[in-house]
Amino acid sequence: MDMDMARDALVQESRELLAAMENALLEIETDGVSSEAINAIFRAAHTIKGSAGLFAFDRIVSFTHIVESVLDRVRTGKVQIDDAMLSLLLNCGDYIGALVDAIQNRTEDTEPDADRRAVLEKLLGAHLEPAPAVAEPTASSLATTAPDHGPGTEHIEGSGGVDSDNWHLSLRFSPDVLRNGLDPLSFLHYLTSLGRIVYLHTVVDTLPALSQMDAETGYLGFEIDFESDADRAKIESVFDFVREDSQIRILPPHSKIDEYIALIALMPEPGRLGDILVRGGALTEVELAQALDQQHDQQIGQKPLGAMLVEQQVVPEAVVSAALNRQKQSEDKKAHEQKFIKVEVSKLDQLIDLVGELVIAGAGANLIANRKKDAQFEEAAQSISVLVEHIRDAALTLRMVPIGEVFQRFPRVVRDISRELGKEIELIVTGAETELDKSMVEKLADPLMHIVRNSMDHGIEGTEARVLAGKSPTGMLRLNAYHESGSIVIEVSDDGRGLNRERILAKAIERGLVTPEQILSDNDIFRLIFEAGFSTAEQVTNLSGRGVGMDVVKKNIESLRGEVEILSKEGQGTTTRIRLPLTLAIIDGFQVMVNDEVFVIPLDLVIECVDLAGHDARHNIVKLRGEPLPFVRLRELFELPSLEQSRESLVVVQFGQQRAGLVVDRLLGEFQAVIKPLGSLFSGIRSISGSTILGDGRVALILDVPHLVQQTTQQQSLAQSGKSAGFLAHNKTVDL
Amino acid sequence: MGKTILIVDDSFSMRQTVGIALKGAGYDVVEAADGKDALTKLDGRKYNLIISDVNMPNMDGISFVKAAKLLPNYKFTPIIMLTTEGDETKKQEGKAAGVRAWVLKPFQPPVLLDAVSKLVMP
Repeated sequence: MDMDMARDALVQESRELLAAMENALLEIETDGVSSEAINAIFRAAHTIKGSAGLFAFDRIVSFTHIVESVLDRVRTGKVQIDDAMLSLLLNCGDYIGALVDAIQNRTEDTEPDADRRAVLEKLLGAHLEPAPAVAEPTASSLATTAPDHGPGTEHIEGSGGVDSDNWHLSLRFSPDVLRNGLDPLSFLHYLTSLGRIVYLHTVVDTLPALSQMDAETGYLGFEIDFESDADRAKIESVFDFVREDSQIRILPPHSKIDEYIALIALMPEPGRLGDILVRGGALTEVELAQALDQQHDQQIGQKPLGAMLVEQQVVPEAVVSAALNRQKQSEDKKAHEQKFIKVEVSKLDQLIDLVGELVIAGAGANLIANRKKDAQFEEAAQSISVLVEHIRDAALTLRMVPIGEVFQRFPRVVRDISRELGKEIELIVTGAETELDKSMVEKLADPLMHIVRNSMDHGIEGTEARVLAGKSPTGMLRLNAYHESGSIVIEVSDDGRGLNRERILAKAIERGLVTPEQILSDNDIFRLIFEAGFSTAEQVTNLSGRGVGMDVVKKNIESLRGEVEILSKEGQGTTTRIRLPLTLAIIDGFQVMVNDEVFVIPLDLVIECVDLAGHDARHNIVKLRGEPLPFVRLRELFELPSLEQSRESLVVVQFGQQRAGLVVDRLLGEFQAVIKPLGSLFSGIRSISGSTILGDGRVALILDVPHLVQQTTQQQSLAQSGKSAGFLAHNKTVDL
Repeated sequence: MGKTILIVDDSFSMRQTVGIALKGAGYDVVEAADGKDALTKLDGRKYNLIISDVNMPNMDGISFVKAAKLLPNYKFTPIIMLTTEGDETKKQEGKAAGVRAWVLKPFQPPVLLDAVSKLVMP
């Protein structure tokens, strides 16, 4: 694999793991300590260290190693998690993030912030044990258990140790052990640095008669009861150098068996049996490799690994069956779980481009089929276009990701900012599973961050003010997302003091944004805060209030063909609502015709179509089932020449809570529109959001319905308040 | 009585590093620059352990081990190969010559000391 790709993958994986780590930490903060969360944190740090190690990114490895060591002590209960520890771990996560950024920027050889690292390492170091002093092996520990050379003592069964709380080691060294320069006694001696030899029995079964004895051959075996806190791998490592040609069997103490079983039951993603046992500590990698080799060698009558391990007394039966159970559980569960493949975004984009072309070509084929008046051909073309539609939908969902990706960074932000501000704020996230286009997710993060900060800084009051206002001392911030008629709606709500209508108005007048005589609705006034350079905060904090922001937020959202609005009640709170189209690539369109021009209206926004002539219509208001509905004639809007027209149709569209009518000559029906952006030449045109290519190769314009609805209803309210505002004068015309 | 370890390595700095680590742990150290030099130091003195490189001028580590194993006084002396050589055939060759402990360079002093303390009785 290309190194750059591997590097990118590492960066991405590490970021995901860091996010998971952060979530788990915050979960601990809100819900208390759980072993699952701690394990998740530990695993994240461990995996990051491991992956970075593969690339020899030493800075990240060495730092993560310390974090991991502390986490390990947390995991084993030697260190308690408290507030300070949580903050420390969060900060460490941030620093690892900085190190990951450095990898991405290819500056991994320089420390991002050496001072910060030193501080963190010092804090972490306080939670670590001082380096263990080299254990001075006591001579007595061996002397009291000196090998008993007397032959004929009773033979201890290999399983004897299982019932006690000691490890049981069964050692049979190879006869060549001495010739290889390895003295069994030195290993036994080293063993005592890990624990205490409780009982040692020397096995002399192979000792020949004196006349046949070779002084250079090792004949002795040992059965040892060993008391130790060390884990299996550690004990096994004592015999690293003799393992290959000796038989070393290590049986766990009884208490360990329960521990293994408990660990196995908690294991989040068990894999194969061997892996489960190794991860639970009941089996070491080496033992597993040996057993697998052995299994492999038996061509005929292979035994399952579990049965083999039990038979050879490597792992107690209870542990094996616990592992097998766990494995089965997880397989059952896996069948229900989703599986994921990572795919480059550019590949998806390419696929969607191709699907777009397919849609256009399909429309062309359909057109020809209709002209040929060949029933069979038409039918075939029809079934193809149905399939194309399915392909299009499936392709588009590939790009859809849950908005939770954006939301998940907020718990941390809210936590940090609320501490900084000294406010108590609780974050409630709902609708995190709501999906939207991946490209929007990325662009949405900054605007949302800004809105959230604004809410926390200006919206939610301090604890005292809240209590005085009769509210609960803890402020509430809510992130919510849901789908609504072809759009995704994202809301940021707070239960703070709400927008101050008078103050905004005063400020707007002061800034010359409006004149004092203008009559403005609440909505109009709230909309003012999206004007450039508008900020009512009397005090500029370092979070917000610098007057850059809401206008940028609005621009960002509009660049995604979206809309942002503010609902607010003084003293009760504010909701900022962002409405975005579900996708940016292909839509279901509704074709309409004015003169010879075809326009496309996003189908999701179309409510109904009626014959205009049948209704009472005057001054661009039509009475529809007793309700007034403002409308606009597209012919007038785009200044197309007037035709002798017997019949006009009214297309009722809705955006958000508002409805409006668009008057057209003919309705052409549904159509899949591949959205092509308009060039910069058209950037000043507000009523058109894009273009699309029709089946016969002609270009049709896609109407910007949100904008049209807004304009049409505003024009109506302006007309009502007696102000004349030429609607068309606001719109530049497009020469077709 | 102090324990003595023979270090065989053609790199002066490596001998020095290993020497510092071992002396720090309380061992006495004798240095040799290659296999040939090392053989001259196997003059009846007692060594508790030999640590040898594999690739060296004049006489390589494995030939040295083979030669040492023929000397009655050093037949049972434990030997650690400390080398950058990770090649499996070389390891097999070493194994045949009687080497069981193989530590790869670059080494961590604690790893080496751990290996040493497994092989040397205090």
